[in-house]
Amino acid sequence: MKKLQSLLIGVVAIIGLLFIASHQLEKAQGFSGNNTLTIYNWGDYIDPTLLKKFEEETDYKVSYETFDSNEAMFTKIQQGGTAYDITIPSEYMIQKMMKEKMLKPLDYKKIKGMDQIDAKFKNQAFDPNNTYSIPYFWGTLGIIYNDKFINSKDMKEWDDLWQPALKNNVMLVDGAREVLGLSLNSDNHSLNSKNQAELSNAKEKLMTMVPNVKAIVADEIKMYMINEESAAAVSFSGEAAEMLANNQHLHYVIPSQGTNLWFDNMVIPKTVKNSEGAYAFINFMLRPENAAQNAEYIGYSTPNKAAKKLLPKEITQDEQFYPADSVIKNLEVYHDLGPEYLGIYNDLFLEFKMHRK
Amino acid sequence: MKKVKINWSRFYLIAVFILLYLPIFYLIFYSFNAGGTMTRFTGITLEHYQAVFSDKRLIGIVLNTFMLAFLSALIATVIGTFGAMMIYYTRKRNYRNALLSLNNILMVSPDVIIGASFLIFFTFLGLSLGFSSVLLSHVAFSIPIVVLMVLPKLKEMNDSMLDAAHDLGANNWTVIRKVILPSITPGIIAGYFMAFTYSLDDFAVTFFVTGNGFTTLSVEIYSRARQGVSLEINALSALLFLFSMLLVAGYYMISQGNLTKSQKKRRKEHREAVDSL
Repeated sequence: MKKLQSLLIGVVAIIGLLFIASHQLEKAQGFSGNNTLTIYNWGDYIDPTLLKKFEEETDYKVSYETFDSNEAMFTKIQQGGTAYDITIPSEYMIQKMMKEKMLKPLDYKKIKGMDQIDAKFKNQAFDPNNTYSIPYFWGTLGIIYNDKFINSKDMKEWDDLWQPALKNNVMLVDGAREVLGLSLNSDNHSLNSKNQAELSNAKEKLMTMVPNVKAIVADEIKMYMINEESAAAVSFSGEAAEMLANNQHLHYVIPSQGTNLWFDNMVIPKTVKNSEGAYAFINFMLRPENAAQNAEYIGYSTPNKAAKKLLPKEITQDEQFYPADSVIKNLEVYHDLGPEYLGIYNDLFLEFKMHRK
Repeated sequence: MKKVKINWSRFYLIAVFILLYLPIFYLIFYSFNAGGTMTRFTGITLEHYQAVFSDKRLIGIVLNTFMLAFLSALIATVIGTFGAMMIYYTRKRNYRNALLSLNNILMVSPDVIIGASFLIFFTFLGLSLGFSSVLLSHVAFSIPIVVLMVLPKLKEMNDSMLDAAHDLGANNWTVIRKVILPSITPGIIAGYFMAFTYSLDDFAVTFFVTGNGFTTLSVEIYSRARQGVSLEINALSALLFLFSMLLVAGYYMISQGNLTKSQKKRRKEHREAVDSL
């Protein structure tokens, strides 16, 4: 009994100490009542010094939380229970959230700097007139290759991934829409195709790629490519930017047969508690110097044309990440396919995954 | 000439330990890397440890994680101990077995399902996600563990001691305090530590029920690792490894020290009893 008593006292004392310590820490950071702005963003998707700058300028305290997939974010917000003021989903998820009435329409009287956003990224099909969302970053899906193993002229379009020389040397990003989309694109079909014949052709074509596929992985691609574990990989431009920064033999190609143009946009969910703070943050991120700093830190492409001017020339003139308008015209944005066709895409992708080797 | 015999069992044991510990030491080794990545070791630095200590958010998360683990294990131990007694003293055998099975089902059911159901349950109740929701779910999944650790000790106990205590006029509470609790103490302590570690390293359940600025270490490391493991995480893991070693050493000392003390006491009493005869 004595032993139990001393254990109990010890544990309670430790809990008390920890509680006081974490309370002090929170107080030192200035969290209190109603000046908190809760941001729900992708992991490592903002320059931390910008958050500090925002806090200093506005007196809001940022509570920053992260998610790792659109779907996880969607579930958390749909279930409620947490008051997120700002979140940054991708375009197809914005469409889905709009359908589910989970977003608040933006009040443009409170937003300054919307004219900085390049017109070609505004008014997209997924959110006409940008009623609900403001572009944060954009990018493409493409091929990263290592010039030690592949000649640059052998890597220009999706079909090049099928070349026999790449046996067991291609890594694919683990996404149904991405992988089926590249197969559809390589046949010059739309990556939003709802045509059953086109889709099954795309899957059949993917099956013939199986000998080349080394792995279907997620974010680990970055590490593998930097370590030269594979000659080529399919991934997003922002990921590619980081790989290129770490290994000079790597290059990024936007396939000439067309590919996906994606957006991550800032939205205000219905769960918003600190609406003023949310608009303050949007205005803060729209300011060219902040957008430029963020783009330089993250490595993704900014839709802010004033910010683009502030960025170093070697970044903005890099056709890998800021392709010419003629290339952009060729790109397609994902549409929300609806549950039925999303299921079909997922099934086809699963069949492909199961068939390899 | 003496033939050298290979001790296969020892060899096997060493191989298993190497397999289990090597990745951890590999991780710790690179936490000192000046190169910044896990690809090549270029030199020794302590900057990653500095980064950990200067990251206020991370320190806050560590404090919260441990507070959560200590507190949830405590609550779960109290509930679980009395739950185990209840199961043990249930008269009807069928009923008792049913209770035990229900307890075991919770042990083996996948964390993901438990987590998702907690998320749905809490939001259905309108409870806001945060410290309280995480605490409640950790208490809930720790209780079956404590029950499993305490039950064997109850079975070991000599039931005639209870009858003797009752015969001598003890009421129920006195019996629990003076007879049952002392004899199942090792089980309770083991249960507490098991619940503590479960709470510390649970990811799947916690992932679903965190929110409103409250998060735990496992969830934070996971969302950071998606962007490539930075060596700051390595440094933190090294610190946690050191901490768990201290914890195990502390637990060992508590149980060992007390065991010998009680053994000594028992031996002394025995001797005195013999002498007085």
